[in-house]
Amino acid sequence: MSPAPANPLPPDAPLRSGVVAYLRERLGLDSVEALAEKKHVPVHRETIFYYLGGMALFLFGIQIATGILLSLYYKPSPDQAFESVRAIMTEIDFGWLMRSIHSWSANLIIGVLFLHLLTTYMMRAYRGPREFTWITGCILLGIFMAFGFSGYLLPWNELAFSATRVGTEIVGVVPWIGDELLLLARGGENVTGDTLARFYALHVVILPIVTFGLLGIHLFLVQKHGMSVPDRVVRRQGSFEAVPNMRFIPDFLLRDMVGWFVALGFLAVLGALFPWELGEKANPFGSTPEGIKPEWYFLFMFQLLKLIPGHVLGLEGKMLGVLACGAAGLVVLLVPFLDRGETPGRARMVFNLLAAAAVTFFIAMTAWGFFDKLQFQLALGGLLFAGVLALSVAALERGAPLRRLVILLSVLSSLVCVGMLAWGLRG
Amino acid sequence: MVAVTGAVILYPVVRFLRPRPATTSGAMEKKAPFSLKELKVDAEGKWPSPFDFGGKPCLVIRTPDGTVRAFNAICTHLDCTVGFRPEESDIFCPCHNGVYDLSGRVVSGPPPRALEEYKVDLRGPKREEIVVSRTS
Repeated sequence: MSPAPANPLPPDAPLRSGVVAYLRERLGLDSVEALAEKKHVPVHRETIFYYLGGMALFLFGIQIATGILLSLYYKPSPDQAFESVRAIMTEIDFGWLMRSIHSWSANLIIGVLFLHLLTTYMMRAYRGPREFTWITGCILLGIFMAFGFSGYLLPWNELAFSATRVGTEIVGVVPWIGDELLLLARGGENVTGDTLARFYALHVVILPIVTFGLLGIHLFLVQKHGMSVPDRVVRRQGSFEAVPNMRFIPDFLLRDMVGWFVALGFLAVLGALFPWELGEKANPFGSTPEGIKPEWYFLFMFQLLKLIPGHVLGLEGKMLGVLACGAAGLVVLLVPFLDRGETPGRARMVFNLLAAAAVTFFIAMTAWGFFDKLQFQLALGGLLFAGVLALSVAALERGAPLRRLVILLSVLSSLVCVGMLAWGLRG
Repeated sequence: MVAVTGAVILYPVVRFLRPRPATTSGAMEKKAPFSLKELKVDAEGKWPSPFDFGGKPCLVIRTPDGTVRAFNAICTHLDCTVGFRPEESDIFCPCHNGVYDLSGRVVSGPPPRALEEYKVDLRGPKREEIVVSRTS
């Protein structure tokens, strides 16, 4: 005979509470409720940055949903890939919307993740005990860039084909194991149908599985350690406990959802007004068309590879560029172990300076890669001016770290502008 | 024991991931899909596109003095396919702005090496057929 339930329902209990009690007991909802009750989010000037992770998560959800829908019609073979994407864009009801949202969201997600990384860095939220939250986050950013790169090839158009050849060739530049990596990435010496099959498997099976695992660890660590609060806020309030906070459920989550709702509307507008281009079908033996560019988040590397000459100090220039980018990525990954200082001081100055320099370099190289020469100078000048102006206005009443960042950015952008002007006048 | 089991499982997986060997290598010879007469800018302003030569694109150009030359059209920088620009009288890679002269030597930009040149023979009764070959 089975034991009687712990809380037998009173015979006159209403149906709803009866169902709730039934599920509560069987699914262990008490512990979930206790966890939700316990979770609080600190409220201070930089609280807005806490929403970025949730926004990335929401966009990832959009990617999963639209990705599953696209996979119902997409055919991963060189003979059919381009035609199937064209059919999605022109023949399938709302296919254009699904593909455009998938592409736009893919770009937004990278932008949000960059901001998430930068703000986490500026708040120094990577310090112990959150080192592994930072590391899993950095790896996730890399994985999302790999998602972008692998997904880019799938329509099998000219742009994608060239970008994949360049991108996989970059892998081949890695010393010692480059040739093997190149073969592994392409599934042969050249970019062919085998490459498409590998990229498809990577995009829809391997990367999602890895992402789920890492994201699980990342979110668990965020739960475990709670939100990091900037030192300055703690000092001002006297102690960590004195910092005001709000409940995660429902207060923070509802605010999160407002952002998601706006993002969904924004994606629909982008998809409707700027449907993603399909371009021309790839011709594996045709000359690469002029004006070829990768996605914006790889432009800085693309521009860097344009600028480095064939040989530098006896090394191949491209190897130097790839190694430099790899080293920069490694430094970002190891930041929690490099900056261990508890108090503000010189170390912090150095780190802020490095961040400002890296961001300026990224923006300048991206703009340079995006625009032609004269356009570039005007665009970069305007962009930096507008950016600094916006930051200055926002920072007028703000605390020290942001102000310092603004001053640094102003100085650096002025230097870049002067340099560009001199370069332009020379030309 | 664990290491042996791991190796027994991993070895076939690693071998599986290694692609099949390239289908063609070594010496070969091929007739271009266009004749000498067609080796000029077409009505759309385009030079004849490179063709499949043993799995690699082969670009055929004509120098101002009329010499026909053929190159492996893969840019030595990062693997894009170069194109001939008759007006500029050069070979150009649009990916990272690499410029080669009409002998395939690097003029400017990031390419580290010259393009690989193939041998060109003109055959047929009117010497109109372009036959490209490489020795190894």
